[in-house]
Amino acid sequence: MDLSKCTSCGDCEAVCPVELESGYEEGLATRKAIYKKYTQAIPGTYCIEKTDTAPCKLACPAGINVQGYVQMVKVGNYKRALEIIMEDLPLPGILGRVCPHGCEDACRRCSVDDPLAIRDLKRLAADRFDPREIEIQCDPERDEKVAIIGSGPAGLSTAYFLARRGIKSTIFESLPEPGGMLRVGIPEHRLPREILNKEIEIITNLGVEIKTNSPLGPDLSIDDLKNQGYKAVYLAIGAHKGIELGVPGENVNGVRQGVDFLRELSLTGKTEVGKKVVIIGGGNVAIDVARSAIRMGAEEVTIVYRRTRTEMPAFDEEIEASLDEGIRINYLAAPQEIVVEDGRVAGLRCIKMELGDADSSGRRSPIPVPGSEFELDVDQIIPAIGQKPDLSCLEEAAGLEFSRWGTIEVNSISYATDYEGVFAGGDVQTGPWTVIGAVASGKEAAESIQRYFDGVDMVEGREPVTLDDPVYRPYDKEPVKHRLQMPELAVEKRAGNFDQVELGYTEEQGQEEAGRCLNCSYCCDCELCVEACLPGAVNHRDQALEKEIDVGAVILTSGTDVFDPDKLEEFYLYKSNPNVMTSIEFERILSATGPTSGHLVRLSDEKEPKKIAWLQCVGSRDQNQCDNGYCSSVCCMYAIKETVIAQEHSHNGLECSIFNMDIRTFGKDYERYYERSKEQGVRYVQARVHTISEVPESRNLNLHYVSEAGEIIEEEFDLVVLSVGMEPAKSAVELAGDLDIELNQYNFVKTEDVSPVTTSKPGIYVAGVIQGPKDIPHSIMEASAAACSAGSDLAAARGSLVKERIFPEEINVVGQEPRIGVFVCNCGINIGGIADVPSIVEYAKSLPNVVYTEENLFSCSQDTQEKMVETIKEQKLNRVVVAACSPITHEPLFQETMKDAGLNPFLFEMANIRNQCTWVHSSEKDKATEKAKDLVKMSVARSAFLEPLDYLTVGVNNPVLVVGGGVSGMTAALNFAEQGFATTLVEKGMELGGSARQIKKTWKGADVGSYLDELIGQVENHTGINVMKGAEVVNAKGFVGNFETEVKIGDLKKTIRHGATVVATGGQATETGEHLYGQNPRVTRWHDLEQNLEKYPDAESVVFIQCVGSRDESHPYCSKICCTASINQALEIKEKNPETNVFILHRDIRTYGERESVYQKAREKGVVFIKYSPERKPVVTEAGDKLEVKIFDPVIQREMVIETDLLNLATAIESSANETVTSAYKLPVNADKFVMEAHAKLRPVDCATDGVYICGMAHYPKPLDESIAQAQAAVSRAINVLSQQSVAVEPIVSQIDQELCIGCGLCVESCSFSAIEPEKVEGKGIRAKNISALCKGCGVCAVACPQQAITMKHFNNDQIIASIRAGKSVA
Amino acid sequence: MTKDVVGSVMVVGGGIAGMQSALDLANSGYYVYLVEESSAIGGVMSQLDKTFPTNDCTM
Amino acid sequence: MAENYEPKILAFLCNWCAYAGADLAGVSRFQYPPTLRVIRTMCSGRVDPLYIAEGLVNGYDGVFVSG
Repeated sequence: MDLSKCTSCGDCEAVCPVELESGYEEGLATRKAIYKKYTQAIPGTYCIEKTDTAPCKLACPAGINVQGYVQMVKVGNYKRALEIIMEDLPLPGILGRVCPHGCEDACRRCSVDDPLAIRDLKRLAADRFDPREIEIQCDPERDEKVAIIGSGPAGLSTAYFLARRGIKSTIFESLPEPGGMLRVGIPEHRLPREILNKEIEIITNLGVEIKTNSPLGPDLSIDDLKNQGYKAVYLAIGAHKGIELGVPGENVNGVRQGVDFLRELSLTGKTEVGKKVVIIGGGNVAIDVARSAIRMGAEEVTIVYRRTRTEMPAFDEEIEASLDEGIRINYLAAPQEIVVEDGRVAGLRCIKMELGDADSSGRRSPIPVPGSEFELDVDQIIPAIGQKPDLSCLEEAAGLEFSRWGTIEVNSISYATDYEGVFAGGDVQTGPWTVIGAVASGKEAAESIQRYFDGVDMVEGREPVTLDDPVYRPYDKEPVKHRLQMPELAVEKRAGNFDQVELGYTEEQGQEEAGRCLNCSYCCDCELCVEACLPGAVNHRDQALEKEIDVGAVILTSGTDVFDPDKLEEFYLYKSNPNVMTSIEFERILSATGPTSGHLVRLSDEKEPKKIAWLQCVGSRDQNQCDNGYCSSVCCMYAIKETVIAQEHSHNGLECSIFNMDIRTFGKDYERYYERSKEQGVRYVQARVHTISEVPESRNLNLHYVSEAGEIIEEEFDLVVLSVGMEPAKSAVELAGDLDIELNQYNFVKTEDVSPVTTSKPGIYVAGVIQGPKDIPHSIMEASAAACSAGSDLAAARGSLVKERIFPEEINVVGQEPRIGVFVCNCGINIGGIADVPSIVEYAKSLPNVVYTEENLFSCSQDTQEKMVETIKEQKLNRVVVAACSPITHEPLFQETMKDAGLNPFLFEMANIRNQCTWVHSSEKDKATEKAKDLVKMSVARSAFLEPLDYLTVGVNNPVLVVGGGVSGMTAALNFAEQGFATTLVEKGMELGGSARQIKKTWKGADVGSYLDELIGQVENHTGINVMKGAEVVNAKGFVGNFETEVKIGDLKKTIRHGATVVATGGQATETGEHLYGQNPRVTRWHDLEQNLEKYPDAESVVFIQCVGSRDESHPYCSKICCTASINQALEIKEKNPETNVFILHRDIRTYGERESVYQKAREKGVVFIKYSPERKPVVTEAGDKLEVKIFDPVIQREMVIETDLLNLATAIESSANETVTSAYKLPVNADKFVMEAHAKLRPVDCATDGVYICGMAHYPKPLDESIAQAQAAVSRAINVLSQQSVAVEPIVSQIDQELCIGCGLCVESCSFSAIEPEKVEGKGIRAKNISALCKGCGVCAVACPQQAITMKHFNNDQIIASIRAGKSVA
Repeated sequence: MTKDVVGSVMVVGGGIAGMQSALDLANSGYYVYLVEESSAIGGVMSQLDKTFPTNDCTM
Repeated sequence: MAENYEPKILAFLCNWCAYAGADLAGVSRFQYPPTLRVIRTMCSGRVDPLYIAEGLVNGYDGVFVSG
């Protein structure tokens, strides 16, 4: 596809015949082979799915595009089907009847059920459209002439392909009628003469002359032909001589060669037929003779064949038909002698055979059985055991070489003989073979003859192509649908006539049969799309290109695959029951653009489900059924989301149940979402379903599971959603191999905790789920972090490869009368096919101020753009209106055109007459035209009021301020400094390091202490970083690129000017009074233990209690890191002393992602996990020297008492106090005091205030690796601004007229972006003032202003009111 | 340290992470080659209906 | 009211959501009556009551604000 030409109109898609499952819709809907991935796809252009050449085409000797014409038959486009066939074959109706159809043997549908009836579909096309009407493209006529000897399929085909190359030929035929074996070898009940005559006309219509009764021989030699001016001769005399049996009595009356029998019958309509006829042979000739004999009145017809039916070379359908017609076949018998009486046949002595070993052809050789002779009573014997060429006419031709089978020797590629200028093909060269083989050889000979005339090498570049391991469309999900039987003439109607037996499919049958095609190659190359595409964007000859690109760094973000539950079909019934679907499929069901348009229905019966079960951890946390030991991190949350959204979509109430092991809602605001879903009635079942069975008829699903309390339960659901996990993509693993980067145990890209986006290979970074399962915000953080890392490597070359466009100087139009030009686009037929574009143009001419109008086929095409620039200049236009598609997609393009023409881009206006007119009123053409006129009128009226606007720019200070000296802050500072941005690091405390000081190791085991020492050293020693310890931010003002922050150190105050701010104020573990903390020295918090693990080597028992003061009213969120931390501590205790009993009392274990591996290890090492509910919290009491913990164990359903030496409490993590910082930069915080990001999903690092970025635990509790990634991400985001000289401010902003302003302050209150502030104006008092850099152009202030003192640029009152008034006329 | 640094980056994969990396790099002065196997960028996220925890429309 | 009454509606659509939605309706070829006249604004908050009055005064049968 030429992306610059595609207008996304979809005309190609409408004509494409190939329907495929949509990958985007997870196979729940179909799309065409030419398609757009999804409605809103970017780029919005179409593409074609293609793969290797289909096996049917490869199997065809003539290389016909079988899939192409089959698809055309499917859509009833017989003309196009014939055009495709006749590209490679001039005789469609003939081959549609007699072709041996090797393509059907190659058809991949054989592996599903039966091969497609390809031959019969070809015939249908030729039956429904006269092939003589197909226009054949021929090259200009040349001078050379060719003589073709023989008018059989090889001769006819050569003549046809020569004619297409502009080469004239004359065919010399020895018989009185043309057609060769087609006429004299194939009886009429298989090939009606009318068809044959019609298709010979296809060739003669091209100017080919056929001279009948003109045999090669004494009166016409090859030399004679050359003397007559024929520059080349093609020998295609066929193989018309029957091979003799070689048994005694063969030359008596009543014995006749099969080919002679058929020839006489064909040419004269009659021949001698006995009463009891025996035919010898097992090929098609034998069957043709037998079926002809029975039609001619023979009473008993027997075929004698020396092997069995399996070995018989005749077509299967022919053998069947002959049996239907009463012909007997005597298998495993061979003639020995013809019994002669009175010089006539009186009988045939035969001998029985048995099959021996396979011969060179692979068929088993027949061996006579001694003593098994028998005799048949017959009066006519017709041998049909084979044919050979009759070479008597070529005896004189010097230079021709012959094989030992009596065929002409040729070059296997060019078909040239050793006789200069003489070529040969068809049966005379191959020995008796197929019609399609003869046609193919003719096609090749034509190519050779042209090369011969042109003096070009005849062989070069023509070697046959073979495909190793071709890739085709998979058929594993294709339902069984058997081949349609060809309708046949009733057996009783066949006697005594040669009426055609196979009647041909009806159109309906043919289309149904064609619908069985698997579309192995996806696109069928019918090229209908090429015709449909008016801008000419489709090019089927496009080839894949290999390019080499020099880059400074690589970032891998190629994602993962979704786990395919097909692998566990026996358990999940996913393939067999449509009411079991994956979560991704369910997303599509919920989506308004999905296959059900967002209607919540089951696929089996399109009824709304009332009860849905989600099964968690499908393909995750599972090392038994699959090898995915990790947690996929996102499935709990998306399942909950799906329950919530599904309930919204449901009309009659919906029961949602989530079957899980633990619910892992560890992200920001996730726990609240979980709690809210419980309030909305979502049921959480802690159980693993062990069996799923289908309920007959309803196709509901029965889930069998054991409840927490140990009951065996069977419960019925309408729909089951499998919460499928992520799996490393095979392609990603291969890519890693090619790039030589290390993978971890699960085949995710390996990274270290302290460098979370750095791969094992320098210069290659990684982001997103290819590194491990994670959610979208985390992926985005890593993406920015990887950009930061790549940017650090390449800082010296920043800006070296980016290009800027230069535009001509802008023409000043202020004060000029409007001169409006209107360009109306047809968009091919998308607009012009519905609305009357010429009348719109005519109408536009009549509108005020319009001085120029024009109609375009495609206004957006490159050439129209260039023309438009010239027109604007010539006509001195100062306003331009384009009536076409949507400004959202195309305004920027036309604005560039304006700039190219020297006009301000804001003097441009679009009328949306496609997306919002012709596309939505396609059945009301007149009304669409009237509406389009109105829309043009509205745009023209508005455009007269348009004013040029300039982009304001605000200079950028590029130093940075980082608030907080923990790992996040230091990482950010160091990355800024390394990329050349002067950085001030403000730390409240007297030393750097933050909460990481309390950690010994990361979860993967990296030593935090030494990492921290190194990091602190780097930061303190970097000349680009000014570290201010014991310092606090007290106040700040300004905006992105221009901040002024006041910092207090002791009594000193300092003002820092900077362009961006990173907030990294960190977090800490909460205090607690629970569980005797602070009262008993044996009770610790998590970091107390972390620091002092070695102090307790002799403990007999250690208990951890998770979620202390966490996930409750005081801290209604999950602190994310505590489960992993406690388990790692437990493991360390176990390692020191395996005898220590370690208990972890928890609510859910949330070892997300690959952290699941430590959970698994802990269980292996004997750490005991006991789940408690918040209603039954553990109770801790002192018991002498030790502690006692009472807990209700849900598994054994009773209370347990654990005596313990130590109790460790995992308390919640909270944000460190940072109110002055957040208020200084106007940063909103959430209910849990964590700083809010600009968008929870898509902008997890940006703050609501432009130019301020957040990272680390000030954002949300997170482990070290995630803090580091987010810090690097903050740097990348900030550098987006800092690397610019200035920031451009969108000109569509509000403008206050301070003369009209009364200082009421309503605008200040109404602005959501703090873009208006009150200002003291000398002599006037308070007046409102714009801060354009912060304005988003919404216009709320203008509406709020009681004085009408605020103008919204580009959307001012004059402009909008002009539009309103212009649109009022009702058509 | 290095002689000639090339000021361009190849991002492999046009899903949400790839798009973000590409945007960040392009906005900070590097030429970016964003390589995507399919015909449109957006990745798996474009298939999702809504996103948690805000129930925002994915598109 | 006449059976073939086709009210003429003036619509103000927010550039960022409703206007894009109207485009998408086109891409999806949803059909609706051709009597809607759309004015694009940068926010539905831009719609001054004055515009609504202006619409009604100018003979539109209804005003639709979406954003």
